[in-house]
Amino acid sequence: MTSYTDKIREISKRLLKEGKVDMVIGFAKGSVPMMHQPMFAGNAGDVDRFAWDGNCGINLANYVTDRKEKIGIVAKGCDARNLAVHIVENKISRDQLYIIGVPCTGMIDRHKITARVPGEIEALVEDEAGKTVTVSGAGFSETFDRADVLQENCALCMHRNPVIYDELIADEVPEQSEKEVDRYAAVRKVEEMSPDEKWAYFEDLLSDCIRCYACRNACPLCYCPTCFVDESKPQWVGKSVDPTDIRIFHFLRAYHCAGRCTDCGACVRSCPMGINVRALTKKLEKDCLENFGWEAGLTTDQRPPLDTFKPDDPEQFIK
Amino acid sequence: MKVIQIDKSELEAGLGKLEKAFRLIGPVKEKGYHLFKTLDSGQKPDLDYMNTRLSARSILYPQSEVMFEFSLDKADEQYAILREPEKDSQPRAVIGIRPCDADAYAVVRRNFDTPEYKDPYWLKNFEATTLVGLACSTPCPTCFCTSAVSGPFSDKNLDIMLVDNGDHYLARIATEKGEKLAADAGWQRPAEGAENRIEDLKLAAEAKIQSEISTDNLANQSLNDLYEAEAAIWEPEAFACINCGTCTHACPTCWCFDVQDETYGKSGFRMRNWDSCMYPLFSLHASGHNPRGTKTARVRQRFMHKLKYYVDKFEQGIQCTGCGRCVRLCPVNIDIRRICNKMNSYDPETCSCAVTS
Amino acid sequence: MKNLLEHMGIEPGRLHFSWISSAESTKFVEVAKQVTEATLALTSKEKKYMKTKPKVA
Repeated sequence: MTSYTDKIREISKRLLKEGKVDMVIGFAKGSVPMMHQPMFAGNAGDVDRFAWDGNCGINLANYVTDRKEKIGIVAKGCDARNLAVHIVENKISRDQLYIIGVPCTGMIDRHKITARVPGEIEALVEDEAGKTVTVSGAGFSETFDRADVLQENCALCMHRNPVIYDELIADEVPEQSEKEVDRYAAVRKVEEMSPDEKWAYFEDLLSDCIRCYACRNACPLCYCPTCFVDESKPQWVGKSVDPTDIRIFHFLRAYHCAGRCTDCGACVRSCPMGINVRALTKKLEKDCLENFGWEAGLTTDQRPPLDTFKPDDPEQFIK
Repeated sequence: MKVIQIDKSELEAGLGKLEKAFRLIGPVKEKGYHLFKTLDSGQKPDLDYMNTRLSARSILYPQSEVMFEFSLDKADEQYAILREPEKDSQPRAVIGIRPCDADAYAVVRRNFDTPEYKDPYWLKNFEATTLVGLACSTPCPTCFCTSAVSGPFSDKNLDIMLVDNGDHYLARIATEKGEKLAADAGWQRPAEGAENRIEDLKLAAEAKIQSEISTDNLANQSLNDLYEAEAAIWEPEAFACINCGTCTHACPTCWCFDVQDETYGKSGFRMRNWDSCMYPLFSLHASGHNPRGTKTARVRQRFMHKLKYYVDKFEQGIQCTGCGRCVRLCPVNIDIRRICNKMNSYDPETCSCAVTS
Repeated sequence: MKNLLEHMGIEPGRLHFSWISSAESTKFVEVAKQVTEATLALTSKEKKYMKTKPKVA
C-alpha cells in the first residue's frame, strides 16, 4: 500500500504544479485506527498528508457535490461509480474532474474487527502483500486474514477497478466473478422469509438506530438540499425515536437510492451503531439488475432506470 | 469519607436487596456492545467493560421524552389543556457508571439548574438517582479525561465509587444518598487503610491515559479571534465533516433539544427530542433564514460551544469530560483533541496554530 | 417500491397499483372494492403498522 500512497502523492503534486486542478481530494491518516479522514490538498505542501490503505472506506464522491473548482479526486471502484452517477445527475461535470483511479482490494470493516478483539484497538497494520491485518491494543494482538475482515460490500464487489478515470495509480486488480461470490445470498435469505419474519428482521435491524443520520450524510446520493425528514413546512416525519418514524426514514432513504446506489458501504461504515442499512439498498440493487438489467454508475451516457421509460419495463403489478 | 469493602461474591446479593427500593440500571452487553439498561430482577450488571458505546446521558435525559399530554376532543372539558403526565419518580440507582459520565451530569446541570431556570424533568430524574460509579483501572487509548473536567478515579459527582481491587471492590461513600444505598444493600464492612490503596490505583490508572489536550489558554483567547479563525481552524477541520449527529448523540455533555407536538387521534403529546447543532434544521428560522447555513459554521458552533462559550460563561473548565466517544465514533475522524489544541494554541497575529495535532 | 415494502414485511396484497382513466368510473369503483376487500382480509395484524403513543419516560 505504500506504493499506492507514493503514487497518489506524486500525481497530486504534478496536477497541482501544472495547474490542472485547484485541489485534490483524498485521504489523510486518521488520529485513531480505521478512521482515515477525507482531506483536500490545495498546494503541494499538503500533498504529503495523503495516505492510502484499507481504511479509506468513506466515499469521496460525497465531497465534490456542486463544487465549482477543478478537482483532482482519488477514487476507488465505488467512488468512481458514484462520480459517474454525479455526472449523470448534473452534480458535477466531467470536465471539472481529474479522476485518480485506485484499483481496490476492499476496505476493512471496522465494526467487524472491533467486535472480534477484547479491547480498544490502538494500532492496525496491513501486510504489504495485502493478505493479513494485524490489530493490537492493551494486552492483545491478533492477526486476521484480510478477506475475513473486509466490509461485506467489498467482499461482494464486482467493480473493484474504477470504471471512469483519467489515470490509474497501479495495474488493475482482478475482478471477482459471479461464480466466486454470491452477491445476493443475504437478500435471498430475507426474501424467503414470511412477511412476519421479515417485519421482525427489520424491526431488530433498526432497533439500535439513534437517528444521527450518519448513513444519509455519508452517502454521496443524499445530496438533497433539504431531506424529507428535515422538512418542517410541513413536517412529514416524526422526530422522536419512535420505531415507525425510524422505519419510514430508512425505507424512504433507501428508495431514493434505487437504481443509483453503488453499494459503496459508506452508510454502514459510518453508522455509529453498526447497523447494516445495506440490507435495504442491496435488495433494490438486485431488483434493478433483475428488472432493468441495470447497475448504477457504470456509464455516463445512459439515464438511470427510474428516470426513463421503456415499453418493455416490467408492469405485472399494475392491475 | 468512609471506605467499605464489598466482595465480588456479595455484590449480587446486595443488588438483590436494593431491588425493593430502587430501579437498578447498569451496563449490559447487547449485539456486541455495552449500553445502560434497566436491569431485570436478578439480572447482573456487566461490570467487566471498558465503557458503554453511547453515554449515560439518556438515563437522566431520554432521547425522546414526553413533557405534556393534551386532549383534542372538543367534548372533553380538558380540551387543549396541557397536562403533565404521571412519571416514574421511583428512586433508581445506576450501578457501574464511569466517572466521565457522572462528571458530565455536573456539566449538564449547569445548564438545567440555574437560579433563573430549573428543568423539572432532568432535575427530578437527577434527584431520584443514586450514582454508584466504577473507577476506570484500564482507560481507553482515546480517553483524555485527566486533561478534561474528569479523571479515571474522579468521584466528585458520584455517590459511591467502586474500585476494582481483585476479588473485591473498595467502595468510597461520598454522599448521604450513597450511605443510604450501602445500608439498604447491607454493604457495611469497613476497609481499613484503603485510602492509600485507592490512591495507588488512581495514580496507576492516570498513568495509563495516553492522550491529553491543552486547555490552559482557551479562556484567554479572544472569542472573536477564534470565531474568525476560518483558514487556520474551521475550514480545514470542517471539510471532512458530513454533518451527521454522531458526535452530539454520543456525547454525555450535549444538552440541546427540540420540542415537538404529536397527535394520535384525539389525544396528543408534547415531547422533546435530542437535537444536534450539526443539523441545518437546528438553527433554521421560521422566516426561512438560517444563521448557521453552512457546514463550516455548524462545526465551528459545536467546538466553540464546548471549548469557548461554555468556558467563558461558567468559568468551570470545558464542556467535555474526555470520554473519547466522539473521537471513536466519528466516521470521518473529526477529533476534538486536535481541534482543542488548535484553538488553545491559535495565534491571531499570525493566524496560525502552534499545535496542529 | 412494492418489492421493497414487501421485503420489509408488508404483506403482498396491501399495496395496489392500477391504471384507471378518468373516464373509467366503474373500474374505479371495482378496484376500490377489491383493494378494500384484499386489505381487510389482512387486517388481523394491522396494528403493527400504526404508530403507537410514546411511552412516558
